[in-house]
Amino acid sequence: MKRSLLLFLIAQICSMGFLMAASDPIAAAKETSLSSPEFWYNRGLSEEKSGDSASASLSFRRALLLDPTLKPARKELSKVLGILGIPLSLDWRDQVWTRIHPDVLILGGAILGWIGVFLLVIFLLVRHGNPIFKKPLFIALALTAIILGHGLSIVGSMIDPRRMADHFAVVTAKNTTTLRATPADSATASGTIAPGSLMTILSRNDLWWYVSDGSGHTGWILSNTITPLLPASTGF
Amino acid sequence: MCSISRIGQWNNRSMTGKFSLPMQIFRTTQILLTATLLMLLGMFSLSSATGEVSVQAELSRPEVNAGEMSELQVRVSGTEVTDVPHEIPVEGLQISLTGQSTQVQMDNFKVSSSQIYSYIVMPLRTGHFTIPSISIRSNAGMLSTAPLVFSVIGGGTGASSVSGAALPQGNQPPLPGMPGFTKRAAPRGSETERLAFAEINSPKKTLYVGEMMPVEIRYYFDASYPVQVLGKVDFGSEGIIVERFPDPKESREDREGTTYNVLTFRTLMSAVKPGSIDITPAKLNCQIQMPGSLPPAFDDPVFQQLMGGKNPMSETRDLVVKTASLHLQVLPLPKEGRPSSFAGAVGQFDSEAVVAHPKLAPGDPAVLSIKIEGKGNFKAMSPPILTETEGWRSYPPADKFDSTDELSFAGVKSFDFTLIAQQPQKNSPGSEFSYFDPVTAKYVTLTTKGLPLEASPGIAPPSGVASPLLQAAFPVPKAPPLPLEEGALSTQTLHSWKTPMQRSEFLLATLAMVIATLALVGSLHVHQLQKQGGSPEGRRRRRLRELLASLNSETLDAAAAYDAALEYAELIRSLSADRDVLIAEITARRDMLKYGVGRSVALSQEERERLQKILRTLSAQTSR
Repeated sequence: MKRSLLLFLIAQICSMGFLMAASDPIAAAKETSLSSPEFWYNRGLSEEKSGDSASASLSFRRALLLDPTLKPARKELSKVLGILGIPLSLDWRDQVWTRIHPDVLILGGAILGWIGVFLLVIFLLVRHGNPIFKKPLFIALALTAIILGHGLSIVGSMIDPRRMADHFAVVTAKNTTTLRATPADSATASGTIAPGSLMTILSRNDLWWYVSDGSGHTGWILSNTITPLLPASTGF
Repeated sequence: MCSISRIGQWNNRSMTGKFSLPMQIFRTTQILLTATLLMLLGMFSLSSATGEVSVQAELSRPEVNAGEMSELQVRVSGTEVTDVPHEIPVEGLQISLTGQSTQVQMDNFKVSSSQIYSYIVMPLRTGHFTIPSISIRSNAGMLSTAPLVFSVIGGGTGASSVSGAALPQGNQPPLPGMPGFTKRAAPRGSETERLAFAEINSPKKTLYVGEMMPVEIRYYFDASYPVQVLGKVDFGSEGIIVERFPDPKESREDREGTTYNVLTFRTLMSAVKPGSIDITPAKLNCQIQMPGSLPPAFDDPVFQQLMGGKNPMSETRDLVVKTASLHLQVLPLPKEGRPSSFAGAVGQFDSEAVVAHPKLAPGDPAVLSIKIEGKGNFKAMSPPILTETEGWRSYPPADKFDSTDELSFAGVKSFDFTLIAQQPQKNSPGSEFSYFDPVTAKYVTLTTKGLPLEASPGIAPPSGVASPLLQAAFPVPKAPPLPLEEGALSTQTLHSWKTPMQRSEFLLATLAMVIATLALVGSLHVHQLQKQGGSPEGRRRRRLRELLASLNSETLDAAAAYDAALEYAELIRSLSADRDVLIAEITARRDMLKYGVGRSVALSQEERERLQKILRTLSAQTSR
């Protein structure tokens, strides 16, 4: 039995190593520099200095996508959006991510959950040995660790800003952009969008993308006036 | 004749020398009539021969959109024209004589004739133009028209897709494959052709492989009838690539007194192989609502009023409107003079290099943007080649295209190279980009030089890159930290663009955990079983074997042998209907031997065999 437990422990340590590897961007990131929030932050500062506030807002948003806890980026994003006349709204998810990095929550939750599984198996199947193993309190603790850990991991993944990032784009045109009712220059204007606005991409039709500004305004916009939140090199 | 004969008669009489009064009145009347007739004849001949000389120039459309054309008419009256210019030179316009006609008019017995000279005005660019005075040589001397103002407005995207350098220059004949533009008249074919017709306009007939060429297709529909367009333009052929058609532009145009609704489609096309290509006509399916004739009883206006002003007998006619076919000669790209950096770009381009951040912190990557601007096949454009890359590590660039026209024919394509310095650097790499210019039919290589830049490797080399060999080749001296921009972060952390759950490592780890948990559960279960002597079935089988062995041995006395037989019979899963009877028999015999005899007796050989036979019978009917 001791040998089984030892093997299991080794397996679990290896798996946790995999889990930790899942948080290691170096293994996955082809463009290491582009995977650095500080790189995007510094780039945003430079763009802000050169007066390109729309591009700066995109860079700061990318920095926050990689590391939502990067407070200077949030501060600069707020400043840039203020220049562009766009309010920076923070919902409860943003509030969570300003305090804890999504990777920490997701991977920490997963590790806690699997520790709970490990303990539950021990408590249920090892009948001989220390009598405290049989106490319902410990089984309840193990179950709590499983539910809490995996629950946090799943919820963290669901609200991770990177999960849907490929559906977002930022208006990087220098001037106010017109939304069209149909994908044509001559189509009726259905609204205007300020530079730096975060848009949801609803569909892509070659040169024209159908977007929504999140407040019910939808329309077609020329793709060269808008830049996806994820850099092209990330392969999304 | 009558007058002449009478005059002759009067002359004859005058020779006699004597007249009566009535005869004098008659003669006077004759003279007055003759004089009046002569005056009328004189007036007629004067007006027809030397009427008022005038010259007038007029544009059919003084303002057109880019890519559209106008007609200039020069009307000369009162004289015979001997010479007119065939071309009118105006910068940005091509004005060519297309035909001549004569118009005769009679107004209050005044007959006048005019000669009309038609010119096609083709814009080569947008803007406001002044068509100068046109000099015409005539029998009455040199005549001149008044200057005219002509405007070409853009389609909102600067260069027109069919204007500019793409249009024929100089004294070339009018564009081929453009019946409407050359004749400037609606086709005189069948009724269907008068209802709807189409024109295709390609600025060139010869192009190179890979060269993008704008093409314009116009569909004309008689504005008198409602038309519904079905589907998309069917245009293409083997060996050419036609880009997606944007939404057509709608306009109205008059052709010989008929107003047409015009749908103008513009796109780009390119050829993929050299040779002669005949492109089939561009087709567009449509339905035209034609008015039908009402029966005599229903042609009352009141009835039509009741029907909402519509003719209930109208018929829908399906039409396929086609352009003329287009013939192209596709030339191969020359092999001579092809640079090594040429990767298929065809057009006219210019390049520029930009470094976003000239001063970088140690370890910070530099971003070198190479911008290729111009017009051509941007979609097939490959990145420029970096030069002077010693001491730099570069990655495949991210590219972005900003179009400046609706067809994506002109624009700027940016290639952003991320560079990491392997040793202290003062300049960025340069670049080299080659393309084929179809106008000059030559290859052109654009180069950019390295830009001033301060970059150095970080203290720790970035992620798994610097091999010991590379580090030995490019030893990294401890560079003094470079000044950063105010507020910039000098440290670099790396994060993933994907959530852990989107990454294969996480899924593998989860799978490994599940397998490990199942393995642990199995292992612990087996361990518990081993402690308990195996599974119940295993234990049963083992006990059966032990009992059978003991029954075969002669060491057991009769009571113990029946005990063993009874246990065997109970353990065995016999399907025999006599099982209970046999068990009862064995039980009775055992009880008798155990309690009735009062001592231990040996089991006789005969009884042992009978007992074994009973157990074999039970075993033979065992459920497996």
